[in-house]
Amino acid sequence: MTATALLELEGLTIALKGVDQPIVDNVGFTLARGETLCIVGESGCGKSLTSLALMGLLQTPPLTVTRGMARFAGEDLLAMPAARLRQIRGGRMAMIFQEPMTSLNPGLRIGEQIAESVRRHKGVGQAEARARALEMLRRVRIPAPEKRLDEYPHQLSGGMRQRAMIAMALANDPELLIADEPTTALDVTIQAQILKLMKSLQQETGAAMVLITHDLGVVAEMADKVAVMYGGRIIETGTAEQVFTDPQHPYTIGLMSSMPSLGARSGRLVTVPGTVPQPTAMPPGCRFSTRCPFATGACATVPPLTDLGAGHRVACAHAPLTATEAPAMRSTGT
Amino acid sequence: MTAILSTRGLRKDFVTAKPLFGEATVVQAVAGVSLDIAAGETFAIVGESGCGKSTLARLLLRLIDPTAGEVWYKGEDLASLPPARLRALRRDLQFIFQDPFSSLNPQMSVGALIEEPMRVHSIGTRTERRAKVADLLTRVGLRPEHADRYPHEFSGGQRQRIGIARALASGPTVLIGDEPVSALDVSIQAQVVNLLEDLKDDFGLTLVIIAHDLAVIRHMADRVAVMYLGEVVECAPAGDLYAHPLHPYAEALLAAIPVASYGARPARTMVEGDPPNPIAPPPGCKFHPRCPYATDICRVERPVLADMGGGRTVACHRATELSLQGLADLEQARTPAARGRFALYAQAMADKTAHNRPE
Ligand SMILES: Nc1ncnc2c1ncn2[C@@H]1O[C@H](COP(=O)(O)OP(=O)(O)OP(=O)(O)O)[C@@H](O)[C@H]1O
Ligand SMILES: Nc1ncnc2c1ncn2[C@@H]1O[C@H](COP(=O)(O)OP(=O)(O)OP(=O)(O)O)[C@@H](O)[C@H]1O
Ligand code: SF4
Ligand SMILES: [Mg+2]
Ligand SMILES: [Mg+2]
Repeated sequence: MTATALLELEGLTIALKGVDQPIVDNVGFTLARGETLCIVGESGCGKSLTSLALMGLLQTPPLTVTRGMARFAGEDLLAMPAARLRQIRGGRMAMIFQEPMTSLNPGLRIGEQIAESVRRHKGVGQAEARARALEMLRRVRIPAPEKRLDEYPHQLSGGMRQRAMIAMALANDPELLIADEPTTALDVTIQAQILKLMKSLQQETGAAMVLITHDLGVVAEMADKVAVMYGGRIIETGTAEQVFTDPQHPYTIGLMSSMPSLGARSGRLVTVPGTVPQPTAMPPGCRFSTRCPFATGACATVPPLTDLGAGHRVACAHAPLTATEAPAMRSTGT
Repeated sequence: MTAILSTRGLRKDFVTAKPLFGEATVVQAVAGVSLDIAAGETFAIVGESGCGKSTLARLLLRLIDPTAGEVWYKGEDLASLPPARLRALRRDLQFIFQDPFSSLNPQMSVGALIEEPMRVHSIGTRTERRAKVADLLTRVGLRPEHADRYPHEFSGGQRQRIGIARALASGPTVLIGDEPVSALDVSIQAQVVNLLEDLKDDFGLTLVIIAHDLAVIRHMADRVAVMYLGEVVECAPAGDLYAHPLHPYAEALLAAIPVASYGARPARTMVEGDPPNPIAPPPGCKFHPRCPYATDICRVERPVLADMGGGRTVACHRATELSLQGLADLEQARTPAARGRFALYAQAMADKTAHNRPE
């Protein structure tokens, strides 16, 4: 696996000015060509900061990368000069955001924008770049692509704008695609179309993808690998099969229990109590300990992300959790 | 069924100002909706963005005036009621908004916000109202001392609890929530869903819930109305709708939702295309340009809601001949050890909440 890794992120740590504890702490993963990693977690857990750091787009200040390495095809994204990163961004590494207008220029025709990016990264001429733009609009299945080429972003529907952004992101055959909540703002039928499109384009091109979402349904549909984040840390990671069929971390279990099921009704939802602490009030040790029903004194030390076998890694002092390993339970007398 | 809230031919047109060139446009946001909501049930309205859910909800409480049609609440037509009588009825009919932050006046303390509906309807003395505020705060999982704080000091989930306490203050019989949990994270959403269900039981409320999350709807609703471009295209008991949809658009919605069960989803076909422009909806069945089953009649003649028996209605020319796909059992398969951990977690949570319960 490691031999063919396209992206290896190690120990990414991000500090926020005025906050003692790191806001993203020791985040790492590896990604091979053609693979999809889904980063999932609730609002504020550090998903976007992680992806922004990879692309060199963190707002500095107040944020700083204090530690970490991101080896992308042999080079460290976190250490390279800004000019080199600009070459890679939009070319070998591309991104898709929730809001298409963060990448599309409202004053430029769709075709011009895509062609511009192709010219910049591929060094081809005007006509060839325009032909590429047309081909891309066709590939993302925008109806009447010849006509859309000369339209402005506001003339497209939300779903079509998202397709246009995907067309632009993929125009230079990126090896790595980073998508931050690419379908969150879309209706379900449009979301289903876009996810299907992303999957089939990825199969055609063999690109690796980091897909950020808070929706476990999207994860189940798209992921080869999953990283669950809580409070700026990865607390569980493994293949999609491992994480869904054999979840280990109490937060993962709580999150899955909180999801209403589509099957027959089953009474009250089992929840995760309380809320995520503010970044300034993170507990020492396991950051989930303030809400975890199994927390004990052992949880006051940061639990390392430990391999439970076959690459399924969990950061919990009580993993693998069994009835005898659940001390909080024994004390309440079961 | 005894309906507590009914609509007949309810319509709302929005007319946009005439632009410099061309004609003023008319959007039929709600295009002739007839519904009966039973006392004590949870009734859900689903559909994609712009299909008219919020407009319908506002019409149900007459927060806006209909272009045509009737809204009946306990034998009175809200659409033609004099303002004074309408104000009195507002006590019974309350609204929960999607975004608790923008719906709560930031200048008012939480206590004043919750007390306001009681003041407006002259309920109780000042002391009684204060006691009621403390009681409501506890009831929605906050603390009485939170009355002196301001909305910005609370998280999204807590603000939604404040919004719910405020909606309950006047002692309503019907609570209408427009996407009441959509803006919340999964774990917080689950807390608020449980709260709404507890309150419904404790206060004998009728709940009308608008949402686009079909899992939340499946969990909460007794009956569901599916809307497409201003019309109800199918209305059915929730379990029946999810297992055997009768309208092609309902099938398309169910096929499109990402299901959080890894490896459980069989391959399925998905509806193509964008929803059509609401300003110029297609002739015939409004769904026909995207419908995989459309035939000639669908392109010219508008189907009307027909009774299919079993408490189901559907508006599709081909409803009786089609056999559509619902969601089969898509429970996540889990290892025995994982099932044990879920049970441990549920038990630990139950113990913990039993511990923390006031009283
Ligand atoms: N520019 C910034 N300045 C200060 N704090 C920030 C900044 N950007 C992010 N944060 C904080 O860092 C934490 C992680 O933010 P991040 O945007 O990565 O969350 P996320 O997981 O993407 O959440 P969401 O699902 O809401 O997008 C949050 O607590 C957030 O408030
Ligand atoms: N005040 C208004 N003026 C003009 N058009 C409006 C107004 N309110 C709503 N509309 C239009 O009416 C239609 C229905 O809108 P509505 O807000 O009821 O949809 P919705 O189903 O609640 O959508 P969402 O899921 O996005 O909240 C849309 O086409 C919308 O643009
Ligand atoms: S009436 Fe025709 S077009 Fe409309 S949903 Fe039924 S089959 Fe499809
Ligand atoms: Mg984010
Ligand atoms: Mg709405």
